[in-house]
Amino acid sequence: MKLYEFEAGGLFRQEGIPVPDFVVTDSPTQVRQATEKIGPPVVVKAQVLTGGRGLAGGVQVAESPEQAEEIARQILKSTIKGLPVSKVMVVKKAEVAREFYLGVTIDGLIGSPMVILSTAGGVSIEETAKTHPEMVVSNQIPILSGLSLPGAEKMTQKAGLDSDDSARIAEILHKLYHVFRKYDATIAEINPLVRTAKGEYLALDAKMEIDDSALFRHPDLSILPEDRIASPLEKKGRQIGVAYVELDGEVGIISTGAGLGMATMDIVSQRYRPANFLETGGGISEELLYQVMELIMQKQGLRAVFINLLGGINPIHEGARGIVRFLQEHPTNIPIVARVMGNRQEETRQILREGGVEVATEVATEKCVEHLFRRLEGGR
Amino acid sequence: MSILLNRETRVLVQGITGRVGQAQTKWMLEYGTNIVAGVTPGKGGEEVAGVPVYNSAAQAVAERGAEASVFFVPPAAVKDASRETIDAGVRLIVVVTEHVPVHDAMEIKAYASGRDVQLLGPTSPGIITPGEAKMGIMPGNMFQPGRIGAISRSGTLAYEICVDLAAAGLGQSTAVGMGADPVPFTNLSELLRLFDADPDTDLVVIIGEVGGRQEEHAARFIASQMTKPVVAYIAGYSVPEGKRMGHAGAIVQGNMGTTKSKISAFQEAGVEVAEYPLDVVKLVQNKLG
Repeated sequence: MKLYEFEAGGLFRQEGIPVPDFVVTDSPTQVRQATEKIGPPVVVKAQVLTGGRGLAGGVQVAESPEQAEEIARQILKSTIKGLPVSKVMVVKKAEVAREFYLGVTIDGLIGSPMVILSTAGGVSIEETAKTHPEMVVSNQIPILSGLSLPGAEKMTQKAGLDSDDSARIAEILHKLYHVFRKYDATIAEINPLVRTAKGEYLALDAKMEIDDSALFRHPDLSILPEDRIASPLEKKGRQIGVAYVELDGEVGIISTGAGLGMATMDIVSQRYRPANFLETGGGISEELLYQVMELIMQKQGLRAVFINLLGGINPIHEGARGIVRFLQEHPTNIPIVARVMGNRQEETRQILREGGVEVATEVATEKCVEHLFRRLEGGR
Repeated sequence: MSILLNRETRVLVQGITGRVGQAQTKWMLEYGTNIVAGVTPGKGGEEVAGVPVYNSAAQAVAERGAEASVFFVPPAAVKDASRETIDAGVRLIVVVTEHVPVHDAMEIKAYASGRDVQLLGPTSPGIITPGEAKMGIMPGNMFQPGRIGAISRSGTLAYEICVDLAAAGLGQSTAVGMGADPVPFTNLSELLRLFDADPDTDLVVIIGEVGGRQEEHAARFIASQMTKPVVAYIAGYSVPEGKRMGHAGAIVQGNMGTTKSKISAFQEAGVEVAEYPLDVVKLVQNKLG
């Protein structure tokens, strides 16, 4: 789960990382008032859960309270990468002498945290790694012992920082690693960390993602993942307990597994665009599949549905009853084709056929999807 | 023969008294798995489907000689249970549990490193040696005995492809579910190494998906060390950037984790990659002649 800049910044500050004072609001008037108090110039920053805000006009400098208000009004009306902006942050513009990048993430292959330090701040670390690999120092951290302060200093020295920068940045890096561990983060990043003209060090941005599976350990964050899902259909999916991803196509897909769901999307994509990805998970029941049908049928412009029930030992026959009950209550003209395999497959197929679903009986998903293609192309 | 698991393996079920644990224990026994004990703290002395339940892994190992363990324990309990089970001397641990915190997975992996134990998961569908034994939730009727090694990130996709293979008379020596979390306990290349050393495996099928760089790393192992032929399939070329597709690790981030990156890594290593699941069968048949 991604955190907003102001949330991540708040956590960073709690752990002693220097974060400039900021005000977060949804009101342009308050932006003006805050600017009067802080004193211009200020930076007005869109609070959205995506990168690339700057290029999209979501970060702007204001030289006066009036200008700050106007910028805030404009940013609050905008969308960035499809996401509406509901809050802005106002912060004093810093006089930057030098920028750095500090990040902690997870190396999935080694299975350990990875700490990254770059002497080029303010640009993406991927970009620096490509163009100036000599400016990037990264280090896999043995998780059971962690990153010590001397360990962080070794990194800053390796990056060639002079003694003042080195000592202070090592301290911040050490704290960042601590925040990463404390909050079960998958990413904790400061880009840029700056040294100001006055010699202060400040984190001018704060990025953090928390592992969804670990949220139960952080009730103090009091952040509901549902609240940050922009798509109402994806929100609904999360509420009923399935993995639903909204896409921009016309063929709805239901699958009993994630890998199978992706493969089904790929197969459908040969000729049509998937309207969604949906994985039921193992908890199949009549009620769940009823809700799943209700969910995917809400998508605008839906032209067909493919249901891939690979049951194993799941009660897919019960799921089939939910699908049929939905269709009886909400008759539709669009073709619905199902592939059914696993425990009690004949019974499941019969339930679906009687409910008006076309059942493809070939073994492979590719062959079954051809039934859907034929229906969409006007055949039976 | 097989890797990691056969009909003699003395299996322990952790979380055996839970709803899923009980149901899966019956299916595993029915398949022929040699389940010798179960563990649920505080439920020692009970029985599930005739299997004696103990309070700790150490007890189950001491009294019943358990050597492999399958986990149906809640996510928050996986870390402690793993340590306890590793300390008890079990040599194989299959973590079926979903939603294990990734920091816990890193700690478990670090703890296991250098100790004589193999872990699968988290979110592993399990491991099955067809006709002999299974640990986990894989449905037995989707697999047939044979000489193909299968490694899959996803459960359902393993069933899909193994059914296609079986329909063509190509059974499996062992099918392993490594799980699709961001930090799998065992890397793909380590599983390839085990199959490469197994005299009863002729060819390995990798069933991958978007996310991470397991496949890219495995491709280097295949090019430099693997002696047996490998065929691969990667699901998710139609997956959009930045969206998590059901599995915690199934996400394309920028250019990382794309099918394109994985397929080109495999092709450079001389591994043929199937475009769709059914194509795996043709590629395997071609390789085996």
